[in-house]
Amino acid sequence: MDPFSAEGELLNIHTAFHSGQYQSVLDFETAALSPENQLPARVLKLRAQIALGQTSEVLAAVSSEEDTPDLAAVKALAQLVAGDADAAEQLAQDLAENYPENSSVQFLAGTVLQAQGRSEEALALLGKHQGSLEAVALIVQIHLQQNRTDLALKEVQAAKRWAQDSLLVNIAESWVGLRVGGEKYQSAFYVYEELASAPSTSAPLSIVGQAVAELHLGRLPEAEAALSAALEKYPEDSELIANSIVLNVLAGKPSADLESKLQQVQPSHALLADIQEKSDFFDTAAAKYAPKVSS
Amino acid sequence: MQSSPNMLTKFESKSSRAKGIAFHPKRPWILVSLHSSTIQLWDYRMGTLIDRFEEHDGPVRGVDFHPTQPLFVSGGDDYKIKVWNYQTRRCLFTLNGHLDYVRTVFFHPELPWILSASDDQTIRIWNWQNRSLICPHLGYLRPAKEALRPTSISFEDQMARANPNQADMFGNTDAIVKFVLEGHDRGVNWVSFHPELPLIVSAGDDRLIKLWRMSDTKAWEVDTCRGHFQNASACLFHPHQDLILSVGEDKTIRVWDLNKRTSVQSFKRDLDRFWVIAAHPEMNLFAAGHDTGVMVFKLERERPASAIHQNQLFYITKEKHVKSYDFVKNEESQSLLSLRKLGSPWVPPRTLSYNPAERAILVTSPADSGTYELIHLPRDATGAVEPTDVKRGQATSAVFVARNRFAVFNPASQQVDIKDLSNSTTKTIKPPAGTTDIYFGGAGCLLFITPTTVVLFDIQQKKQLAEVTVSGVKYVAWSNDGLYCALLSKHNVTIVTKTLEQVSTLHETIRIKSATWDDAGVLIYSTLNHVKYSLLNGDNGIIRTLDQTVYLIDPTEYRFKLALVKRNYDEMLQIIKTSSLVGQSIISYLQKKGYPEIALQFVQDPQTRFDLALECGNLDVAIEMAKELDRPNFWTRLGAEALAHGNHQTVEMAYQKQRNFDKLSFLYLSTGDQDKLSRMAKIASHRGDFTSRFQNAVYRGDIEDRIEMFKEVDLYPLAYLTAKSHGLTEEAESILEAVGLTEDQITLPSLEQPLKVAHPIVPTFKAAWPVKAAGHSSFEKALLGEVGAVDEEAAADGFDFEDDEQETTLAKETLDDDEEDASGWDMGDDVNVEEDVDFVNVESTEAGAGSSEADLWARNSPLAADHVAAGSFDTAMQLLNRQVGAVHFAPLKPRFLEVFKASKTYLPATVGLPPLVNYVRRTTEETDSRKLLPIIPRDLETVATVDLQEGYTAMRSNKLEDGVRIFKGILHTLLVNTVSSEAEVAQAQKIIATAREYILAMTIELERRTLPTEGQDNLKRSLELSAYFTIPKLEVAHRQLALMAAMKLAFANKNYNSALGFASRMLANGGSAKLLEQAKKIKAQCERNPSDAIDIDFDQFAEFDICAASHTPIFSGSPFVTDPFTGAKYHPQYKGSVDRIAEVTEIGAPASGLRLFVPGQF
Repeated sequence: MDPFSAEGELLNIHTAFHSGQYQSVLDFETAALSPENQLPARVLKLRAQIALGQTSEVLAAVSSEEDTPDLAAVKALAQLVAGDADAAEQLAQDLAENYPENSSVQFLAGTVLQAQGRSEEALALLGKHQGSLEAVALIVQIHLQQNRTDLALKEVQAAKRWAQDSLLVNIAESWVGLRVGGEKYQSAFYVYEELASAPSTSAPLSIVGQAVAELHLGRLPEAEAALSAALEKYPEDSELIANSIVLNVLAGKPSADLESKLQQVQPSHALLADIQEKSDFFDTAAAKYAPKVSS
Repeated sequence: MQSSPNMLTKFESKSSRAKGIAFHPKRPWILVSLHSSTIQLWDYRMGTLIDRFEEHDGPVRGVDFHPTQPLFVSGGDDYKIKVWNYQTRRCLFTLNGHLDYVRTVFFHPELPWILSASDDQTIRIWNWQNRSLICPHLGYLRPAKEALRPTSISFEDQMARANPNQADMFGNTDAIVKFVLEGHDRGVNWVSFHPELPLIVSAGDDRLIKLWRMSDTKAWEVDTCRGHFQNASACLFHPHQDLILSVGEDKTIRVWDLNKRTSVQSFKRDLDRFWVIAAHPEMNLFAAGHDTGVMVFKLERERPASAIHQNQLFYITKEKHVKSYDFVKNEESQSLLSLRKLGSPWVPPRTLSYNPAERAILVTSPADSGTYELIHLPRDATGAVEPTDVKRGQATSAVFVARNRFAVFNPASQQVDIKDLSNSTTKTIKPPAGTTDIYFGGAGCLLFITPTTVVLFDIQQKKQLAEVTVSGVKYVAWSNDGLYCALLSKHNVTIVTKTLEQVSTLHETIRIKSATWDDAGVLIYSTLNHVKYSLLNGDNGIIRTLDQTVYLIDPTEYRFKLALVKRNYDEMLQIIKTSSLVGQSIISYLQKKGYPEIALQFVQDPQTRFDLALECGNLDVAIEMAKELDRPNFWTRLGAEALAHGNHQTVEMAYQKQRNFDKLSFLYLSTGDQDKLSRMAKIASHRGDFTSRFQNAVYRGDIEDRIEMFKEVDLYPLAYLTAKSHGLTEEAESILEAVGLTEDQITLPSLEQPLKVAHPIVPTFKAAWPVKAAGHSSFEKALLGEVGAVDEEAAADGFDFEDDEQETTLAKETLDDDEEDASGWDMGDDVNVEEDVDFVNVESTEAGAGSSEADLWARNSPLAADHVAAGSFDTAMQLLNRQVGAVHFAPLKPRFLEVFKASKTYLPATVGLPPLVNYVRRTTEETDSRKLLPIIPRDLETVATVDLQEGYTAMRSNKLEDGVRIFKGILHTLLVNTVSSEAEVAQAQKIIATAREYILAMTIELERRTLPTEGQDNLKRSLELSAYFTIPKLEVAHRQLALMAAMKLAFANKNYNSALGFASRMLANGGSAKLLEQAKKIKAQCERNPSDAIDIDFDQFAEFDICAASHTPIFSGSPFVTDPFTGAKYHPQYKGSVDRIAEVTEIGAPASGLRLFVPGQF
């Protein structure tokens, strides 16, 4: 039986992880779990630690157990997040060759490969999954990053046939929905709103999702309410800051403070990188023009 | 044959066998006559015995209320008919005459008659007013039936129907037996007419219920309802529905379909045989009498199945149509769906749960021991459509628990199934033992209701989160913010938090029916006869007393009171306008709280309006009402109040209406209205009222009239005295003469100067005194639509420019200016560039998937702003270069980055991967990739309402550097922007022109300020620039400022001619008196010596523009070049350089014109 299914023991920890409640994942009592679920639970906990930025602790924890492919895969992800991308890529590639059937390896090594821009290899590895929703979610995300919304949609719809009730499938569907737009914005909004409003699943992750959906729906005041409330609670969350910048610009409000805050929290954030890139691009492009007569 | 397990019993009494029942038509009362000779009067709503009447000897079988009088009639086995007054609680009189048991008695609905039927085989008609027998022996012959118990609800009806031409037959003739209905094999116990149709229903000892139809000529049996397995004792037609109800000695109440003659429902009692049944004339209520008392019951629930989502209420009507109601618009939708096929025909749906995400409803029906249906609502209400795609199943409760999940509960199997929208079970939960119902419990949770507790259960984690001990919960109401929840049981309301911590509890002796939450977190609940509120701390009170049970949907009145307390006039206004708040309670509430002026808005009744108007000093209304009422009492009160106000016109009217001449005269005296006073004198003489005439004469100081009057009443001594004392000797002598006396014969007291009546110094009558401030509250103003205007004024005051009057003329001037602008602005039309050229080819390998949405934007739009949002800065620059000759992009960089920044959101997904980027669209409804377009921040509206106003403020407050920066920002924002219509394009062009003029004006003035003060050349230039400053087309108020500065500078430097010109222009512009005063003074001075000390390059009478680069005049007819974007004009030598206004475009560059809008694109 799938341990993550509705009847499985790991449902709650799994739900907590995917709704971004990383601290609850760490606090989860795993001693009572059946032996075969111990390892997946541990992997989830380690991944939650990575999500919380505790990469060095994770690396230390798995250093002696690299023989277990699951933990080795965790190590690859930890390396990636810690900034040691090349080592991570190497390890991920090895794991992908040696343990392509291991679902942790599929997902974690797939993540690393995708992060390194090797999308085709990542997809090939993930394609070997057997009913792993995490793999499905990652495939969806890769397709979206490749701007293949059509393929992402197909993947989600296939997964919905066998796992409609899964939180992860719902979230992946919302990812696609926010790309497709129109009525799907509203559906995505409902998914995130549901997560954000339930105390057991409310986290920056779900609030950001809700606010992003509101932004796309053009409901700026609602988005602002959600984001500013969340920013007070989680002032360091980079996605909250990034989306607040977008919101402020849209609403015609100053965003400089938030930009410097983001610079401080996560200088590598896509928003900042994009702006920098476009700023340079602007200068280059503008240099091509000059008035006939300089004044 | 269905049987409903729970009948909706409203009341049960314990007594001996009940043989007769009657409902009071208005009050919640029921009369029960017992086999034991007692008649009971019950309040079935409160469940209390009001009175007992015990004068009959032996069983009492018939009772009836009089429809309007406080009377009832009873007939018993003592052969007697008694008429009672239930207010005085005694028997008024007894009608004797029947020779056997009286079976039934009825009042005639209109005539003063009592009809009685007896075992003596007669029906008698009595006049209860003169207590006589009208129709002594109306023999009612039923051959071959041993038990004769005929009756009818309206005997007279039958007669009228049977003999339409003999309506007056009573009194003279005996009634005629029209039809004999034969069909029952054994004794007939009861017959009843249909309230409208020519139908009769009968019940007999052959256990059958028979339906009969009649025409003018005959009556025949239609059908038989079989089912009772013992004697059928009574039967009747449902007053409003096509149903027959019957009771029998088989201890059942049966409901039959009138049209199909099939059994619809039956209710069984364990021990007691039923003897009689009665229907309430108006409400959905019935009563049945049995061996041990009476029960009052309903056939169907009246609580409409409903659900509220935001401002919408969804509910199911009695016709089983789903409708919605919008609280904001205050309007009911058309029928959305017809649920005719749901459940069984006579069973209304019980609950409704709404899912906004899917726009679906879950409806449960108690039919077939509980069914539910999942139905998607149509997008638009088009009428009662039968739903096509319906999912259904067995359950007593069904509620949505999440966007795509709902829970159904089956009490038989004690199981809750969580189902998805395709109706397949995804999860099964075992609820606590004894669970009776389930409710929504907050996101992802359920509330299980057991007889003693309420349990909160997390569906995801499948675990119980909390439990609270509350017994007998029947309904659950969540507060709007989802933080609190009210648990309603029969007599208790328990308020708990969302985690089931008990906050407060309150007890009601009367049954609690429903509850709802106010936005402010106040619970409003209804009992059988009150609407009440409860605060979170349990403080509660009555809002309103009810005549009929109400199921709460919207707490309007309460909201009103809350708004009143908070002085939230807008909301009150809203409520008054949209709701029908009426009733004495709210008026007295308002009066008590000291808001008579508000109460005034509700009241129609003139007298109350008059009282309220006086109370709040609103004389206009009071006058209006007094006129309407036109009674002395009201005029007196009005006069007194008006006097207190000093409103003497009203006082005058009040006195006139009362014909109060004395007071009127005095009023005219005190207001100094001599004309009217003399008119009063005339009236007095006309009336022959000498006292009044004297009084008026005194008031007027009219001595002649006084003397004349004294003479007329033969008071010669007084006449003489008056004449004498006022020095009218001739008159005095003529009086003496007339009475035949001489002066010697009279001894007069020594006289002093006669007193004169004081006259008012001010002619008050011409106008009212300063009147006591009229009672116009801000509230009334709001009602009169004045508040908006006030707000606008306040807003206008916010701008710190000194004069207010100018603001008002401003609007007019703007209009004028607009016209000018429009005519002067046909820019770019002369250069024709092909449309297609605007589409810049975006490099892309293939269409559709694979390219990002940003690429699509650039491909979908020829507008520069869309390319900027897409990050395609190079193509955006190409477009701007072609459209407006943009060459210098650096100033646009912040705008480019701003637009770009707003184009994407960042959605965190898998840990370790960058967030998913999504593109923010202005086409939020669109999914067609060829029509997707980005959102552009700072739209035209923002520019017009925010930025432009800031610019004006900078101008007023003389912050010119800021102003230039702001207006440049406006130009840059508009250059990279999109609009949604041609009209907006025109508006944008107008704003561009405005910004150009302000920048030009401000830069001219700024240049002047940087000039060194020494030197004749500098002074000359300074004077010129100050003159040019007045040329750009600014708002009038601002132009006045420029003119003022120029005038003063010119005057100070003895350039009187120029100063004169400026002063004249200022005066022509009009506006603030202060400025005009100065202009006038200077004008007057300058006119004495209209010459300039310093010759400057400025001809106030010539037409010219200012070159934006050199700030020198371009006289009309001279060559010039324009900037393709801003339209600023330059001397030809500036062609090819960058525009000085927006600093982006090349002066005189070929350009196709700025594009902000593509028809059909937005």
